[in-house]
Amino acid sequence: MESNVLAESSRMSEMSLSANGSLRKRLRLGEIAIQAFLFVCGALSIFTTIGIVYILSAESLNFFTRPLWDNTNRRLVTDISPAVTTFEVTTSGKPIFPGQTVRIGNELMDVLAIEGNLITVERGFQGSTIETHRAGLDLFRANRVNILETITKTRWEPQLANFGIWPLLLATLMTSLIGMLVALPLGLASAIYLSEYASARARSILKPVLEVLAGVPTVVYGYFALTFMTPLLRAIFGDQVQIFNVASAGIVIGILVVPLVSSMSEDALHAVPNSLRQAAYGLGATRLETALKVVLPAALSGIAAAFVVAISRAIGETMVVAIAAGAGPRNFNIGQDPWFGYILNPFLAAETMTGHIVRISGGDLSYDSIDYNSIFAIGLALFIMTLLLNIFSQRIVRRFREVYE
Amino acid sequence: MAAQELNSPAYPEGDALKGQIANRHLVGTVWRSIFLGATIVAIIALVALVYNVVDESFGLVAVQNDVEPEALVRAFFNDELLNSRNTFASENDDELAAALADDPYAIGFFGYAYYRENQDSLRTLRVNGIEPNAETAENGRYLLARPLFIYTAQNIVRQNPAVSLFTNYYLTYVSQEIESVGYFPASESSIAAARQSWIQADGIEVGLGQWPVINPAGAGGQINIVGSSTVYPITQRMVDKFEAAGFAGQINIQVVGTSAGLRALCIDGTADIANASRAIKPAEFEACRSIGRLPVEMRVGTDALAVVVSRANSFLNNVTDDQLREIFTTAETWAEVDPDWPNEPIKRYIPGADSGTLDFFTEVIFDEELSNLPKDTLVEILADSISLGLGRRLEREQRFYADRLVFESQEVWDEVCAGPEPPTGCTLGERSSYNVYELVLERVVNPDVKLTWTLTDSLLRRADIELEMQRQFPNAHLQFRAWLTPDFIVSPQSSTPEFAGVRTAILGTLWVVLITIAFSFPVGVSAAIYLEEYAQDNWLNRLFQTNINNLAGVPSIIYGMLGLAIFVRALEAFTSGAVFGQVEANTTANGRTILSAGLTLGLLILPIIIINAQEAIRAVPSSLRQASYGIGATKWQTVWYHVLPNALPGILTGTILALSRAIGETAPLVVVGASTFITIDPSGPFSKFTVLPIQIYQWTSRPQAEFRNIAAAAILVLLALLLTLNATAVLLRNKYSKQLT
Repeated sequence: MESNVLAESSRMSEMSLSANGSLRKRLRLGEIAIQAFLFVCGALSIFTTIGIVYILSAESLNFFTRPLWDNTNRRLVTDISPAVTTFEVTTSGKPIFPGQTVRIGNELMDVLAIEGNLITVERGFQGSTIETHRAGLDLFRANRVNILETITKTRWEPQLANFGIWPLLLATLMTSLIGMLVALPLGLASAIYLSEYASARARSILKPVLEVLAGVPTVVYGYFALTFMTPLLRAIFGDQVQIFNVASAGIVIGILVVPLVSSMSEDALHAVPNSLRQAAYGLGATRLETALKVVLPAALSGIAAAFVVAISRAIGETMVVAIAAGAGPRNFNIGQDPWFGYILNPFLAAETMTGHIVRISGGDLSYDSIDYNSIFAIGLALFIMTLLLNIFSQRIVRRFREVYE
Repeated sequence: MAAQELNSPAYPEGDALKGQIANRHLVGTVWRSIFLGATIVAIIALVALVYNVVDESFGLVAVQNDVEPEALVRAFFNDELLNSRNTFASENDDELAAALADDPYAIGFFGYAYYRENQDSLRTLRVNGIEPNAETAENGRYLLARPLFIYTAQNIVRQNPAVSLFTNYYLTYVSQEIESVGYFPASESSIAAARQSWIQADGIEVGLGQWPVINPAGAGGQINIVGSSTVYPITQRMVDKFEAAGFAGQINIQVVGTSAGLRALCIDGTADIANASRAIKPAEFEACRSIGRLPVEMRVGTDALAVVVSRANSFLNNVTDDQLREIFTTAETWAEVDPDWPNEPIKRYIPGADSGTLDFFTEVIFDEELSNLPKDTLVEILADSISLGLGRRLEREQRFYADRLVFESQEVWDEVCAGPEPPTGCTLGERSSYNVYELVLERVVNPDVKLTWTLTDSLLRRADIELEMQRQFPNAHLQFRAWLTPDFIVSPQSSTPEFAGVRTAILGTLWVVLITIAFSFPVGVSAAIYLEEYAQDNWLNRLFQTNINNLAGVPSIIYGMLGLAIFVRALEAFTSGAVFGQVEANTTANGRTILSAGLTLGLLILPIIIINAQEAIRAVPSSLRQASYGIGATKWQTVWYHVLPNALPGILTGTILALSRAIGETAPLVVVGASTFITIDPSGPFSKFTVLPIQIYQWTSRPQAEFRNIAAAAILVLLALLLTLNATAVLLRNKYSKQLT
């Protein structure tokens, strides 16, 4: 009886509804458009990443493929007309190999074969205009930045076509290492204090201080390094400390990273359930023993992740090193410095990867130059390093996280 | 039992147990202090950072002017005096005295000595109630008096017998001669004190009341005397007498002024004796001592000006300095100055502009600041000192007078103002007196900061600083300077740090942030809504999420390179405004515009905004959504009317924090290509730009110390801006988090 009534009423309402339309889900164009727009916005970050990877790779590729014209000091012995494909050049000078691109005047040629001083070429290579050349003209060969040389050479001198990454890389590693020596112990210790020791009142004072420290722009830290830390170091260690030096930049990077290490580590420590601490106290452990032997190991994955992120941040840090570390790569010859007294001296100036990018792009940068391409190659190296570190830190968290129910 | 015995070594009892507890306690305390110490280091770092910036933003500076403001003031009042009605000026004091003698309504001033010669016909006036005489002149109560000194140094007296002999001779006979030169003799006690310092300097043993024998005859040697023109006549007289008494050596006298004389004695070390018409300053004293010359001061007399009227004058006995100002400049009749005096025109007799007497009189009586001079005078000073071209430029910026032109001719002015782009001067009102004063300061006085010191040094090492300045820039003067001033905030960039400001940079920052927020706020919040409300858990959306997390960790400089390649180069037509026909005239910005910078920073803070907005949206309880769906709302209606309003405070807080990150970013904008030097305010998204952090970076990189000071001041501006933003965020968070709970 009752069900009948219900069915009746439901039929009635269905009828009244169907007067306006069907009860089926309607296609709402507005909703779809909105959802599409939201999706595009969500996807935009993917394009950012693709953009970064594409730009860095494309320009780096340019860096490794663009010809650096190098005078072989070999000259044409006779005039050559556009029809000539084999001609003689002078004996002395730098070697030329088959497969190399050479240039006389504005015309490019592909070297096909070499017999003594006779060179056979394909004229008008890469669409260049075929011209008549006079005897005595210099032959240029196209050198390319060799990726192997880039990762083995120890001098970065663009004007001399030396592109060894080591001076820049070592400076980056040095500032980062010094920074980590400062930031990791300080950051971890303050995280332990804030999480395990501090009263609510102390936390309410200390946390904002760390937040403010984290919010100070890096250019201000750069100023601090140059006008405070460097004079301080010079007061302690004397004139062996140069005005621009790696140590002061490194220490200030460390200070800059402390809030990051501290807050991430504190989050990790905080996530450790209280029952673990209570259990430790119940067994008679002191607060220190609880903190170091129970809580710290439990939060280790989060802390390790914090450390890795800190390293990544230190490597990518730019303004401090641009202002305080030095304005020129510290080129070296490894044989002349067997004890690394110069190469690794923290009191001397050295330009880091990021510092180099800023200095080069701050000047009058021409887009069609090896300088322009080179900063993208450095940027690519930087991007890969930091990306790997960030992914690594996320892996650590996921892999080693202790889950407490 | 056996088990207990076996275990007992592991469980100490009694004192051993107490010892172990104490030990664990100690270790705990030590580590606790270490942890606390590490936290405090962070606070110390913050304090040091702020201290350092404040320390560099304020402090003493050594300023050297092209023209001293006092000289401009003096020249103005000299002119004022010389050009007043009924004024007769002459370098010849006898003429003045003769003219004054007969006229009961005449007044004049000159050296006291000339009054002496004419006391029969002339009478001196009391100034501020003080009668000029040897006593009031020497103790300084009489306003128009200045002391006369000679200075030498202890080791000069000991090493150069000629100097010793001459100064001794000088002190012995000066009082006999000085009145004939026209000055008051020093009192006997002053001379006695001078002799005492001479004896101490010389180290000679003399009995009480005795005096070493002076016999210049046959003595030789060389003496260099340098300094004041006022002291010169009496010193020259003493030299003549000394040589007449048989001195066979050589004496050179140079007139270069008191300060230069003391410099020659104390810094260059070229003078043996300095003539001075003022006492040595502490800094000069220190400078002397630091080169091993302990100064010996000897007062030899006093110079005084007499304000004189005729003996026939019956109404005037005393004048105040205020009355003197009126009498010698604006007043036409005596009654104007004081109603009790007769209504007769004032006739003025004063020394000419070439004499130091007029300068001395104006310096003492018309002791004014440059800024208090009338506007007309300031404009005149400006017109006398700057080129016509510069004057025209300044006038076109803003005219000096509403009713007349100073530098530009009326025809040209009308033409320019009728032209297609009339300069601002055509429409703006006239310059204020203060504005003209500032122009005079900048263009004529042109103060150049030679040395700067930090605030701490300024407060604690004042004496050393004075010494250092005296030695390096003796013509400079110390002043306390706050580099962070209202002027600093509203002035545009300038190549001279003294006049540079951050106005262009602040406007640039605001423009860039505007673009950044217009781009990243809607996009970021939309992305967050998509990820939280719409996205299903599939590989694509997980990729989005991972990607956003990774992007947040990419170094900011990489974004700069992205911006350089995409916005500046690839999209140049768009970002330079060419597509919209908006290219600014004679710009070299290309794609390096505010738009490119804003979009680059937009991409940079996008991940931060998304992550923060996601958290805020996630915090909205799902019961709200269910309720909304329950009454038949669509997904978007639910999001728009229920989720977003509740998440908004969180989203705003996150956005503000992301914005403050954008404001502080430097590296990406250097790469994108901020302009190194622009003085024109940005006018839109297609202008060239500079921003505060870039300005700080550039000033920090300059070698001159003053740029470091203005960099510090700019940092304070930047920090204040960020602090305001962050405080807003915190307030917002606190306010709305209370509402929700």
